[in-house]
Amino acid sequence: MPNSSTVQDVNRELARKINDEARKNPQQSPYANKFVGIANGQVVVVADDPDELSQRLRQIEPDPAKCFGVEASRDYDEVHEIWELP
Amino acid sequence: MPRMQWPLRRGRPCLQVVLTLSQGGQALTRTLLADTGAGSRHVGFELLFDEDDCLLCGGFLYPSVTLGGAHVGSFPIYDVPVKVPALGFNQNVRAVGVPSVPAGFDGIACFGFLNRFTYGNFANPDEFGLEC
Repeated sequence: MPNSSTVQDVNRELARKINDEARKNPQQSPYANKFVGIANGQVVVVADDPDELSQRLRQIEPDPAKCFGVEASRDYDEVHEIWELP
Repeated sequence: MPRMQWPLRRGRPCLQVVLTLSQGGQALTRTLLADTGAGSRHVGFELLFDEDDCLLCGGFLYPSVTLGGAHVGSFPIYDVPVKVPALGFNQNVRAVGVPSVPAGFDGIACFGFLNRFTYGNFANPDEFGLEC
């Protein structure tokens, strides 16, 4: 049985592939613009919004260390500014 | 429509949310700086917390997000159950876990979160409020 950090690595890599594919081929990817839930290295939920994803994913796998979510088609490398309080 | 107002903290708008510890279920009240300039409507996260809070409340991960300004680099996004009891708000919200939060606050409520509600001072310049 893989430990949770290994599971998380597998989940993260699968999420990266899903997002890359959705961004490169949005017409072909079934996940484009969807919220995808991954548990134990497998896609288990495809949802239209993050709240639906969260509810369904937590029902399927209650251990958050074994779960991962990805908003397919999002550019996670875009920089978002958070201002610092003076 | 339910409304909740909080006194300004250090002269800045703030609000309080309630988190729940995943082990034991204890409620944690967190006071957040209300910052409409943090993020945009569809930025992919709505709150910033100390990462320890995200972990203690059993959030699962999303891919990391890249921040600039007060926090520079890549930071994890967690799916965290968040409540604002007076408003009947009880949803899972995507929150960035950061190593430090603004002095005097427990995190930041970004525009994406504030924009779920009607927000403002509701004619009281000493308070900030949310209405839904």
